[in-house]
Amino acid sequence: MAKTLMKGSEAIAEAAIRAGARYFFGYPITPQTEIPEYMSARMFDPDVNGCFLQAESEVAAINMIYGAAGTGARAITSSSSPGISLKQEGISYCAGAMLPCVILNVMRGGPGLGNIQASQGDYFQAVKGGGNGDYHLLTYAPSSVQEAVDIMMFAYDKAEQYRIPVLFIADGIIAQMMEPVEMPEMVDFKIDPEKKPWACTGWKPGDDPEKRGVINSIYIDTESLSEHNAVLQAMYAEVTKNEQMWENYNCEGAEYIITAFGTVARIAKSAIDQLKAEGINVGLVRPITVWPFPYKAVADAVNADGVKAVLDVELNEGQMIEDVKIAVNGAKPIDFFGHCGSQMPTTDEIVAKIKSMKEGK
Amino acid sequence: MKNVKVLIGNYGSGKSELALNFAMQAAARGDRTELIDLDMVNTYFRLTERGKMVEQKEIRLVSPNYACSGIETLSLPAEVASAFVLEWDTVVFDVGGDDVGATALGRYHQDFVDLEPGSLEVLNVVNIRRPLSGTVEKLIRLQEGMQAHSRLQITGMINNANLATETSVEELRDGYKMLKEVSDRTGIPVAYTTGKKDLLEQFLAEGHDPKYIGKPIPIDVYMHRDWDSYIKYGLHTVDPQKNFKH
Repeated sequence: MAKTLMKGSEAIAEAAIRAGARYFFGYPITPQTEIPEYMSARMFDPDVNGCFLQAESEVAAINMIYGAAGTGARAITSSSSPGISLKQEGISYCAGAMLPCVILNVMRGGPGLGNIQASQGDYFQAVKGGGNGDYHLLTYAPSSVQEAVDIMMFAYDKAEQYRIPVLFIADGIIAQMMEPVEMPEMVDFKIDPEKKPWACTGWKPGDDPEKRGVINSIYIDTESLSEHNAVLQAMYAEVTKNEQMWENYNCEGAEYIITAFGTVARIAKSAIDQLKAEGINVGLVRPITVWPFPYKAVADAVNADGVKAVLDVELNEGQMIEDVKIAVNGAKPIDFFGHCGSQMPTTDEIVAKIKSMKEGK
Repeated sequence: MKNVKVLIGNYGSGKSELALNFAMQAAARGDRTELIDLDMVNTYFRLTERGKMVEQKEIRLVSPNYACSGIETLSLPAEVASAFVLEWDTVVFDVGGDDVGATALGRYHQDFVDLEPGSLEVLNVVNIRRPLSGTVEKLIRLQEGMQAHSRLQITGMINNANLATETSVEELRDGYKMLKEVSDRTGIPVAYTTGKKDLLEQFLAEGHDPKYIGKPIPIDVYMHRDWDSYIKYGLHTVDPQKNFKH
């Protein structure tokens, strides 16, 4: 199939539909409003025949996800940073009830209303909690439109395999820029009650009581809540073992290692190529899953012979750097470069920062 | 005579890029040039972000009222009137995408009607690699919608087929074929074919019917991000999971 030039928002929305999503619930907010806009038309095409609903609020939308996912359907909601903050209660409930679903956060500047330009300021919110309780979300941080599409095509499979909500954190640039995209074929998804015995698919009196699906996150007595949390923790351990994804770039023989995710990692690659041309060898480790964080991959790259120090670059005031510190565990010095206020770091800035590290400043 | 080019078209068809190119080329010829950013829809990747570059070329830039890139509520600036009342050689309107974006033109209906006959070009910028411009039917439907919303008759189409950094001559060729059919069915001519110089030359050497090429215009890429080339490292088109390290 020929490639098309697609805006990130459109491509992500189309990919979700092709991955089987038939329920979209959301509320508009820049810079991701093109996702509901696209869904509002596409869900009603004959080859999709799904449901688009603009909820009265983000809180309502995430609870609609809870309901739709509870039936075993593939449901999706999208929002941007302040809207994702509003959804946190519902996200925690989805995690507690072990509901597979997909949540998109197109990150904009914060805190508070912040601005509408690109940001990576919701890293903490995504991987260190957000809502209440001991839970994690399988969290992907794509760095191109195509990568977001490709990850979407298996996101529901992962969500259903582990019964874990999947979160995408994409900085505003990913949703707003246009790139050539190859769109995968539509998957044929149907709810299979055999594969989802937990789903509420229409039990009626007289049916086998054992087959009654219950979607729930409340466990009032201490023992049953402990048991439930043990199930969750065992699942998180499996996800951590199996699902870490990252990309290494130019790490062989590197003098410095850059850690960066999303769009910033692409800018870092430009800087790395520029530095290489000047005789300075710098590598990049780009986490693609930010939870589970690829601690070992970062440690392996940093602990290699010849690596002097680490530079973490983010479009925020330094959030992922805390996970990088855990990974490096004091073995090498770690420096930071970043911007808040949604100003993209530039290639030249990263080059200058590495040079200043080399000069021992 | 004043030449007024109004660029409308599908969201993401390349209107801002072409508007900049038309204005820069006019200014290079010595034209008194005004460039009007009438995009009331999109808040990222806006023409106005190239404001400094444009001003260095002595092009007057009129932007929507906003404090900086990315303010959500845009409004039509009063200075748009200058396009009609001041002496210019070339005025280029960069309009928002689709029929929604074209609606902003309705406000200036009488001003357009009052222009000297022959001075107005209403150009539909078409990139057939955009999903909503991928078939003849979709193109015609969009074209009709934009005409209704803008209250203007489209005078010509622009074949601006491209895949951004991955564009090859195949894009222009496919664009040519599709616009030929649209043109035959609607009677709207192909006014221009645009592309990077080398690709455009390759395409022209293939000997297609000039009637469906219009005037070929080589363009430069201004709306570019300096890390754009890194797209290749982000692409995982085969089996993404195999390409990633676990």
